[in-house]
Amino acid sequence: MSTAREDCFTMEGKLALPYQYFAGLTGSRFLISLRDQKKIKGLKCNKCNKIFVPPRSTCEICFEEISGNWVDLKNSGTVTGFTIIRYEEPHQPVKPPYILALIKLDGADTPLTHIVKGVPLSKMKVGMKVKAMFAKKSTSSIMDIDHFRPVEGKPKFEMGYTYDELEVGMSASFSKTISESDVYLFAGISGDFNPMHLNEEFAKMTPFGTRIAHGALPQSLIAPVLGMKLPGLGTVALEIMARFKAPTYFGDTITATGEVVEKLEKKRWVRMALTWTNQKDELVAEGSALVIPPMPLPQQAE
Amino acid sequence: MRRKVAVCAVAQIKNEPDIWYQRFQGMLFDCFESIVEQTGVTFDMEKGIRNVVTCSDDVFDARTISDSGMTDVVGAHYRGEEKTAQDGINALGYAMAAILSGHDDLILIMGHCKESQSESRQMCTNLAFDPFFCRPLGLDFLNASAFQARAYMEKSGVTDDHLARIVVRSRENGAKNPYARKNELLTKEAVLNSPMLSDPIRELHQYPVTDWAIGMLLSCEERAREFTDNPIYITGFGNCMDSYFLGDRDLTSNFALKKAAGRAFRMAGVKDAKDAFDIVELNDACAYQLPMWAEGVGLAEEGGGAWIDGNGMEKHNVNLSGGMLNGNPIMLGGLARTVEAFLQLRGEAGERQVDGVRKALAHGTTGPAGQHHGVIILEK
Repeated sequence: MSTAREDCFTMEGKLALPYQYFAGLTGSRFLISLRDQKKIKGLKCNKCNKIFVPPRSTCEICFEEISGNWVDLKNSGTVTGFTIIRYEEPHQPVKPPYILALIKLDGADTPLTHIVKGVPLSKMKVGMKVKAMFAKKSTSSIMDIDHFRPVEGKPKFEMGYTYDELEVGMSASFSKTISESDVYLFAGISGDFNPMHLNEEFAKMTPFGTRIAHGALPQSLIAPVLGMKLPGLGTVALEIMARFKAPTYFGDTITATGEVVEKLEKKRWVRMALTWTNQKDELVAEGSALVIPPMPLPQQAE
Repeated sequence: MRRKVAVCAVAQIKNEPDIWYQRFQGMLFDCFESIVEQTGVTFDMEKGIRNVVTCSDDVFDARTISDSGMTDVVGAHYRGEEKTAQDGINALGYAMAAILSGHDDLILIMGHCKESQSESRQMCTNLAFDPFFCRPLGLDFLNASAFQARAYMEKSGVTDDHLARIVVRSRENGAKNPYARKNELLTKEAVLNSPMLSDPIRELHQYPVTDWAIGMLLSCEERAREFTDNPIYITGFGNCMDSYFLGDRDLTSNFALKKAAGRAFRMAGVKDAKDAFDIVELNDACAYQLPMWAEGVGLAEEGGGAWIDGNGMEKHNVNLSGGMLNGNPIMLGGLARTVEAFLQLRGEAGERQVDGVRKALAHGTTGPAGQHHGVIILEK
């Protein structure tokens, strides 16, 4: 009998069986909460003090019934292991390359396997913080979590320097050109409609010979320095003193500068020397400030 | 003295990438005829085979009750026929239990798998996962191994370079084994440059698609010499299943293998694996598994990387057959390891023969990332 390859007939087959897999009562509860509340739940064994996910009705360590001990887990977690799938096969949910990771959800003890997106393959790391992104449309399966993506590494707000980070000699400044409309707005804000600021004819009769800005207007330019630069966000100003040295004319560019001159160890406050200069490097005002620098905040990433 | 179980004969066909010219029934029948010819065993209801243990998988055969397709060719008509899936080493454990319990004194083991027939092995092993939490994510045995490989390499000091050396060595050993899958010999560079399948597992780190069939005749000690002049005895067996969910396990702990080995060692009176065995066969479906399993059975307490650098693979005569890495189908890895141990103990291992082999360890594993392990100890 011939055993040539062309004599060997093969039938193409495909096992496919439409079927409904019952998820079990415990599995149902997990999947329903995922679907309806976008909440990932775990089950806690009180005896082993361990929180499991995916769910199971019995603790496999001590065989305690745990099916009633639901706890809410966070939608965020930490990657404990991963692989980058580069081969392409029909059973895969997304087109490779894709990252499959073991993710220990905050509040759980056993990592859950899921897909991670939104991170370059070469940047994928164990220890990465990720959060669940829910699918737009429910399939009533674990794929109701569409994938996980990295939690923004950058905090939402860049906080200022803390007391410990500040050093004597550190300085920062802010510049602005004072226009006629600035002065008009400031008049409205302060209620100071003094004609020396607003009426050129009146101003001609003053020692300055022309309109000048309100003294508090250039003075206020120190606020962005203290509150947004040095020390920066989170600073509380306790005291700001200014001695005016020269007028500010319309069109002058004022630079407000703050410099750390003293750290008050006992109170953990900081004293700063302030100067205001114009475009001709003339001293417009000088003074000092006493501030409480920002406290270190708890991790405020989303 | 404890009763022992004898392996009287082994019959196999050659491991091949695609046995297109033969159905699995034919592959098994070749083994079956060889067993009968080697041993003269009959199917007499008093003195012959009354029980057959088979090993096959429904998904890889794409049929339900995969053993129903071969009852006749394995001689199981009107007899007991019991199927094991998972790794075939459990068929040995099961047969051993049947004999030691006095339930029967002769067991025929028949196993087969044609990996070549499915479109993809990974699609098959994807079905080993539950349909709710794991299967939809595309988990399969390859990417599950990759999780373990990354964690293990981090812990053990096993590098990409070590893995390449393991693959090169496997091919060299396989070339000396007439029943091993015929593969190209490789250079280390070829392995290091082979494409990533699932980081850190490269294409050449994974065992190739293979078809194979195997038969074994086991008997109680008292009757072994009716069938052979050179029986090999099973003196220890142990197995263990780890947790199902990958996240429930410590993937680098070798939990199940240590338990399985411990049980086998206790039964066989083995104190220290490092000097107990003349040859060791470990079921390495992926290159990283060779050092990892070596740690698990107690050969490499210094850690896998240092063990390879210290020439541990040669010192302990590990996988002289070429190992699973050279190509055996899934499920039959443990039986293939046992075949090598049997041949070495009998002095029939040809070019691979180690002098004076008296005690051997064979290992089988299955399930994602080594979920289940079995260890068997064979002696002259």
